[in-house]
Amino acid sequence: MAQILLVDDDLGFLDATTELLELLQHKVVAASTVADAQAKAAGRSFDHVILDLIMPDGSGLHVLDSIKNRDQTQVTLVTGHPSVKSIVKDLYGPNISYLIKPIDLAQLQSLFEDDDDVGEVDTALHFGHLVGESAPMQKLYQMIERVSQTKANVLLMGESGVGKEVVASAIHTATKPKGGFVPANCGAFARDLISSELFGHEKGAFTGATHRKAGVFELAHEGTLFLDEITEMPIDQQPNLLRVLETHKITRLGATSAVDIDCRVVSATNRTEVEIAEQGCLREDLYFRLAVFPIHIPPLRQRTDDIPLLIEYFLQAFNRQYKASIKLDPKDLARLQAYDWPGNVRELRHAIHRAFIMADPETQLLVLPDDLSSPFSKVGDNKGVGITVGKTVEDVERELIESTLEHLDGDKKKAAEMLGVSLKTLYNRLNSYSEQ
Amino acid sequence: MSSDTQRLLHDVRNPLNNISVNAELGKLTLERTGDVDKASAIFERILQECRRCDTVLTELRDHMSTGQEAASENRGDNH
Repeated sequence: MAQILLVDDDLGFLDATTELLELLQHKVVAASTVADAQAKAAGRSFDHVILDLIMPDGSGLHVLDSIKNRDQTQVTLVTGHPSVKSIVKDLYGPNISYLIKPIDLAQLQSLFEDDDDVGEVDTALHFGHLVGESAPMQKLYQMIERVSQTKANVLLMGESGVGKEVVASAIHTATKPKGGFVPANCGAFARDLISSELFGHEKGAFTGATHRKAGVFELAHEGTLFLDEITEMPIDQQPNLLRVLETHKITRLGATSAVDIDCRVVSATNRTEVEIAEQGCLREDLYFRLAVFPIHIPPLRQRTDDIPLLIEYFLQAFNRQYKASIKLDPKDLARLQAYDWPGNVRELRHAIHRAFIMADPETQLLVLPDDLSSPFSKVGDNKGVGITVGKTVEDVERELIESTLEHLDGDKKKAAEMLGVSLKTLYNRLNSYSEQ
Repeated sequence: MSSDTQRLLHDVRNPLNNISVNAELGKLTLERTGDVDKASAIFERILQECRRCDTVLTELRDHMSTGQEAASENRGDNH
């Protein structure tokens, strides 16, 4: 089963082809104009996009810019004449298929043949974005399902690389709003342009404002605004954001009247609640507005059962992108599952991509590096821990125990095993620390 | 070939294409669901598209015959 976006201005063709594809067990989103298609496709991902190249309101290719997973989407153009092929190839690269009118069933089915090869192992995506069947993920899916029925703002918490933006997209998909998904990174805004980026500005509002510009809130109207790295927003700018969340109105810089805004704000941070409170990087009132529904995304080491599924998913994407059929040597799986992935899913994806590039052309198998760990994880591990002259043996021992526990997410049994002490000894030590 | 003739040739492909897709849909509907009412509605669409085809072909014929007359008149002028 494939997710298909079908765009054609001939309604007779659109209706019949939609029904035909549905009879073939595919999921179809049909649109008869470029604008309609862009609205329906915004922030969603599709396996296939079948397009009429020339539409009354513009080129069908504009639709592709709205699709989320553009590089994993197979694009097919419906054309009356094969000569279009050579023209479009120069425009859009070779990774494009054609349906030549008159279209018959064999032509349509040929589009999905590649999918059928991998169809049996095709990774199931939850809410169109998320991969994994482990218990922590099931809990996450349940939370997404619940919050999608409401308009509550969501604060996503999780380590770097767990896929906060992917979860935000999943919430957007599950909500099925009218508007689009607009991602913005609060850490990337230039300090003096934050207000303009968030709320927009009128022409002439400040030096250099040569055009009227809509802010991300306005762009996300009736949709989802994703504010990544929310804790990086300067504290003096936070009251402005708080005000918008309270009043559901924005005023563009230099404007005299306010505009109503209706969107869900999904924000994200890689800090924990304790860190947010301790470090004071987020005003308390703003925290409560943003974290109406907080969601913790589990790190990859807590869902190692999902690693084979994730690898399968990334491999499918790379194979599709590079038209290859590289596989994982089952012997390598154990090593990939044993590693603790401090950089989480992002690090796993990077490792698979690298192994894909290094793949052995003869055996068609991924080639993993000798050492999986990334330079960043080594730096992170050593932070604050280590032997320096002047430390007592007790201090070093305590640091070792604490960082081992932190690494294992507080699993005392595993920590005792790893440290080579009995569980009782570990408890005794921890008790003595809490008494100090 | 004039641009109008090219356009008409292009236009005739659209109903022809719809006939093809609907014929496949009708066949598959009967094979998979056995829904005769649905199939009947699909055949009605095919007939509609046939009429659309006929209209374009008539227009094309008229266009080509007037085009030929114009062409022969042009030749006459040159003599």
